[in-house]
Amino acid sequence: MGLTIDIHFICTVFIAILKALPVTLQITGVSIFVGLVIGIFAASVRIFKVKVLKQLAEFYVSFTRGTPMLLQLLIVYYAIPQIYDHFAAIYGWTFRSYEIPILVFALIAFSINTGAYMSEVIRSGIMAVEKGQFEACYSVGMTTLQTMSRVVLPQALGISIPMITNMLISLLKGTSIAFTISILEVTGMAKATAATNYNFLEAYLACAILYWGLSMLVERVSGLLEKRVMVYSKGGFA
Amino acid sequence: MGSYFDPKLILKFIPDLLKFFPITLGILAGALLVGGVIASLVAFFRIFKIPVLDRISIVYTSFMRGTPTIIQLFLVYYGLPVLLQAIHIDTSNVSEIAFVILAYGLGIGAFLSEIIRGAINSVDKGQREAAYAVGMTTGQVFARVILPQALIVAVPNFTNLLISYLKETSLAFTLGVVDMVGRAFALGNLNYHYLEIYIGLTVIYYIVCIILQRAFSVIEMHTKKHERHLVEG
Repeated sequence: MGLTIDIHFICTVFIAILKALPVTLQITGVSIFVGLVIGIFAASVRIFKVKVLKQLAEFYVSFTRGTPMLLQLLIVYYAIPQIYDHFAAIYGWTFRSYEIPILVFALIAFSINTGAYMSEVIRSGIMAVEKGQFEACYSVGMTTLQTMSRVVLPQALGISIPMITNMLISLLKGTSIAFTISILEVTGMAKATAATNYNFLEAYLACAILYWGLSMLVERVSGLLEKRVMVYSKGGFA
Repeated sequence: MGSYFDPKLILKFIPDLLKFFPITLGILAGALLVGGVIASLVAFFRIFKIPVLDRISIVYTSFMRGTPTIIQLFLVYYGLPVLLQAIHIDTSNVSEIAFVILAYGLGIGAFLSEIIRGAINSVDKGQREAAYAVGMTTGQVFARVILPQALIVAVPNFTNLLISYLKETSLAFTLGVVDMVGRAFALGNLNYHYLEIYIGLTVIYYIVCIILQRAFSVIEMHTKKHERHLVEG
């Protein structure tokens, strides 16, 4: 008995999971964007040592980075409807928790998770910006907000590109566990397609090819982007 | 979900879940062992640019770094029996844990090989030349000069890898392994207190992560003891 791999079925699954790719990309894209906002906020709070918020941000980052994504996803999935129903009962809202699309839970969970990792990336990016830059901005009369948004963050983001790329790739791969709350993204779709004939190996091979290709694509694009962003830097790093 | 959230239950479930912690730890330890062997080989092939094996190593590392752990688990679980069947080896009696350990080991191998390679390459070439110049053998150069310096770079990255794989072991349940997560699902199906169980499990993972981090920061300090500081601060 030789190798029994149904090449034709790999193609069938590949087409099916391509249709589910937008869901994977949506989770990845939204999480990166929301995560970036949370990350910048948490990093700023920690760098400027804002009372109470700093401790909260530190706990958030350490807890999120110290626990499995799977459990964060499951906790969000089970906790939010309970919390929502609690308030819905008090205020008499008619929209019920089971009407919330499951995708929303995945978006929330992955955004929270990405925010914690992003905060660390941004923080190290900001700290890599020379202190003299802050002082120079203040001396020409910029406010802290102007200093951050016009001078520090553009540089910090540039420095962070390689790390953000790593995060983006690991997030892209990480979305594969969204199938555990029955979302039909790439992995979930492959599982569902293979459930008809039990050709799971072929289905997961198709997934692996797709994820691998995407990861390499992200790496290439970020390499180009890094060159563009670093054009304005005078060197010193990288 | 009929029952209401009860924080007291979180503490009640933790001891039950902890009974399955050795399985989680066993998977991680086994995978580290497998991964360590693979990583050493791959790093060797790549640093010394062994023909053919170097190319295979590059593809292997890229594949493992570019695909989700869960897909790797499934590929090993469904793929290995097919491969072994072709050479007439029956795997139907092999436990799921063996597949899980192999799959995680393959993943760790890829990431660890990059850590080892990066750390060794980070040591200045002149160090090796200087060591040869004073008459050291290759073994001595490696053990006394390259390795101690490479460790400084490698240990923090290794800690991150270890912690990320501790968290990844939470996916072993997908192959039917009853580790802490598998137990949590079973418990949840009995009493529907999913939320309390998952929170309890999260607390366990968090504490283990903190312990690992503390332990490795001590090791990190230890590797740095010979480092000279030419420029302070």
